[in-house]
Amino acid sequence: MIPFADIGVGPFDTSWLTSTLILTTPILLPAVGELISERAGVLNVGLEGMMLAGAFFSFWAAWATGSLLLGVLAGVAAGLAFGVIMSLLAIEAQADQIVSGVGINIVAIGLTTFLFDEIFGARGLVELDRIGLIEIPGLSSIPELGELLFDHDAVLYFAFLSVPLAAFLLYRTKWGLSIRAAGEFPAAADTAGVSVRRVRWMSVLTASAMAALAGVFLALVTLGIFRQEMTAGRGFLALVAVIFGRWHPVGVLGACLILGGADALQLRLAAREAVSPEVWFVIAALAAGFAVHLVLRRQRERKVAFALSAAVALSGIVLLASSPDIKLPDQLWRALPFLLALIVLAGAVARARMPSDLTLPYRRGEG
Amino acid sequence: MIGNLHARLARISLEFGLSVAVAVAALAIGFIFIAASGASFGEAAEAFVEGGFGTRRNFAGTLSKMVPLVLVALGWIVVFRASRFHVGFQGQILIGGLLVAIVALEVSLPTVVHLPLAILAGVVGGVLWAGIVAWLWAARGVNEILSTLLLNLVAIQVISWVVRGPLQQPETPLPQTSPLQESSRWPDLLVDTSLKLDLLLIPFVVIAIGLLLARTVFGFRVRLVGDNSNAARFAGVSPERTGVYAILLSGALAGLAGSSLLLAGDTPGMTDGFDGGYGFQGIAVALLARNSPWGVIPAALLFATLRQAGGVMEATVGVSSAVVDVTQGIVIVLVLAATSILYFRARATEAPRAPIGRTEQAEAT
Repeated sequence: MIPFADIGVGPFDTSWLTSTLILTTPILLPAVGELISERAGVLNVGLEGMMLAGAFFSFWAAWATGSLLLGVLAGVAAGLAFGVIMSLLAIEAQADQIVSGVGINIVAIGLTTFLFDEIFGARGLVELDRIGLIEIPGLSSIPELGELLFDHDAVLYFAFLSVPLAAFLLYRTKWGLSIRAAGEFPAAADTAGVSVRRVRWMSVLTASAMAALAGVFLALVTLGIFRQEMTAGRGFLALVAVIFGRWHPVGVLGACLILGGADALQLRLAAREAVSPEVWFVIAALAAGFAVHLVLRRQRERKVAFALSAAVALSGIVLLASSPDIKLPDQLWRALPFLLALIVLAGAVARARMPSDLTLPYRRGEG
Repeated sequence: MIGNLHARLARISLEFGLSVAVAVAALAIGFIFIAASGASFGEAAEAFVEGGFGTRRNFAGTLSKMVPLVLVALGWIVVFRASRFHVGFQGQILIGGLLVAIVALEVSLPTVVHLPLAILAGVVGGVLWAGIVAWLWAARGVNEILSTLLLNLVAIQVISWVVRGPLQQPETPLPQTSPLQESSRWPDLLVDTSLKLDLLLIPFVVIAIGLLLARTVFGFRVRLVGDNSNAARFAGVSPERTGVYAILLSGALAGLAGSSLLLAGDTPGMTDGFDGGYGFQGIAVALLARNSPWGVIPAALLFATLRQAGGVMEATVGVSSAVVDVTQGIVIVLVLAATSILYFRARATEAPRAPIGRTEQAEAT
C-alpha cells in the first residue's frame, strides 16, 4: 500500500509521506487561493509576501496575547490587508498585476524583517507553543495509514478539504460561474449583471487569506518560531503549481503533492551522508517512464528528449547497480523543488490554456 | 508643433512632479517607521544626513552604491520597453559574480587585461543565466516572471554551495572565497574610501542604453514589440527574437552589476548573498525613474543614499536597516498608484476632445 515502506529507513518511507503531507500544506493553501484568483483574472505574484505577513503577524500576536487563536486571526487579517492593497492596485488602479505583486513582496519582506528586528531582535530565540494535533477518532487508529493521514492539525485538514471545496465553488455554484466568467470574458459577465469588480475583489481577498493561513501554518503549527523570509519561496512554488495543475483544483492538488514531496525529499537527502540507492532507482524509473511516454506520444522534439531520458535512466541503473557512496552538495537538494518546478513549467505550459483575461484589467465600456 | 512641445513639457513636468511626490511620501512613511521604533526623530534625521553625505567616506559610499542600482535599473528598462519584464536580476548578478570570482581567483594577469577579463566574465555569466529565461520563454512559453523567481532561488543555492565548497577560502570556516587578486579589482577613484573607478560606468552605460533605446533600429523594434507584438509581427519584426535580445541585454547589465559588486566591493572575496538585494532595489529605482534611462541617475542617488544612510543609522541610532526595504517597496506601490492617476487624467482630458474635433471637421466640409 505504501511504496518503499518495507525498505525501512530509506528516504521514501512512511515518515517521508507524512512530511510530504505537512510540506504540501503551505504550498497547497496559497495555490488553491491563487487558483480562484487566477480564474477570476488576477495573477497574484504577492503570495510569498502575504504568506510572510501571515507568518509574522500570527507569531507576534500569539506571543503578545498568549492566544494561538488570536494569532491565527491576526495572521489572516494581515494577509487580507495586503490583499486590499493588491486589489486597490490591480482592480481599482488597473496597475500591472505582476509589478504590483513584486512590490507587495518587497514591502512584506521589509516590513516583517523590520518589525522582527525591532521587537524580537534583542530577545534571542523566541519559541511558542505550537497548535495541537487533532487525532480523528477511529480513523487514526488504522495501522500505518491512520497515523499518516489522520493525526494532523486543523490547518492541514483545511488545506486538503479546500480542494473539493474549491472544485464545488468553481463548477457547481453561481459564484463559481461568475468567477470563471470574470477571468474568461469579463465584458460578457458584466453584461449579464455580474459585478466583475466585486468578483475579482473577493477572489483576491480569498487568495490572500489562504496565503496568510499558509504562513500561519509555518509559524504556529510546524515550527513555533519566526525567521526572516521563512517562507523560502513556497509562494512562488504555489504559482507554479497553479500552472502545472492547469487551473483545475484536482490538477493543483497533484502538482502541490509533487512539489511538497520534492521538498520533503530534499530535507531528508540534505541531512544524509550519501545518496541512497532508492534515489537512483526513483530517478531511473521516472526517466524511463518519461521515455516511454515520449514514444507513445510522438512529440516533435522526442528524439532529443528520448535520448536524454534514456541516458538518465541508464546512468541511474548503473549507479543503482554499483551503489557508490556519492555525497552530493546539500544545496543541490535544497534547489530540487525549484529545479523541478522549472522543468515542470518547461514541459507543461505549452499545452495548458490559461484563463483568457488573466493579468488584464477590466475597463468598463472598453470590452 | 509648439503645442506638441508644450504638451510634452507639461507631461514631463507632471511625471517628474509625481516621482518627487512619491519619493517624499515614501521617505515620510520610512520616517514614521523610524519614529515608531522609538528612535528620536531629530537624531534619526541627523544620522540619515550624516550617513548619506556628512563625511567624505560616507558620500563616497553613497556614490559607489549607485553603480549596481543604475545598471540593474537600466536592465529593467530594456526589458520593460519590450514588455518582457522579468525579475531575475538577483540570479544574474549572482551567476555573473560567480564567473567573475573564478576569473579573479584562478587567473593571474596584469590589471590592464585581468580587470576587463573579469568584467567580461560577469557579463557572460549574466547573459547565460538570462539565456535560460529567454529560452524558456521563447521556446517553451514559460512566463518570464515565474522562471526568474525560481532561477533566483536556484542561483542562491549555487552560490551558497560554491562559497562552502569548491571556492571556499582554505583553512577558514567562513562561507567566503579567498580575496580576489588585486590585479582584477577596480582602481581607487578617491583614496581611503570605497569609491572606485567603476563609477565611470554610470554615465557611459546610461548614455549607451539611452541612445540604444531612442535612436537605433533595435530600440525601435523593442518599443514596437513592447507596444503591440501583433503589429510588430505584421511589420516583419519577430517579437520572439527581439524579446530574447532584450532579456539577454538585461542579463548582461545585471552581470556587469555583479562584477562591480565584487571588483569594487568592500569585502575582499565573494561571500554568500553578495548581491545585497540590489537585484530588486534596481527595479524600484527604474519605476521611480518612470522607466526613463536618464531619470535613473537621480532615482539611484536617492536609493543609494537610503542604503548608505540606513546602514549608518543602524549602527548609530539602532534602527533596523530593513526600513530601507520597506521604503523601497512602498515606492513601487506608490509609483503604480501614481501611474494610474496619470492614465485616468489623460483619459479624462482626451474624452471631451472628440466631439470638438468632429465639429471642426464638419465646418471644414
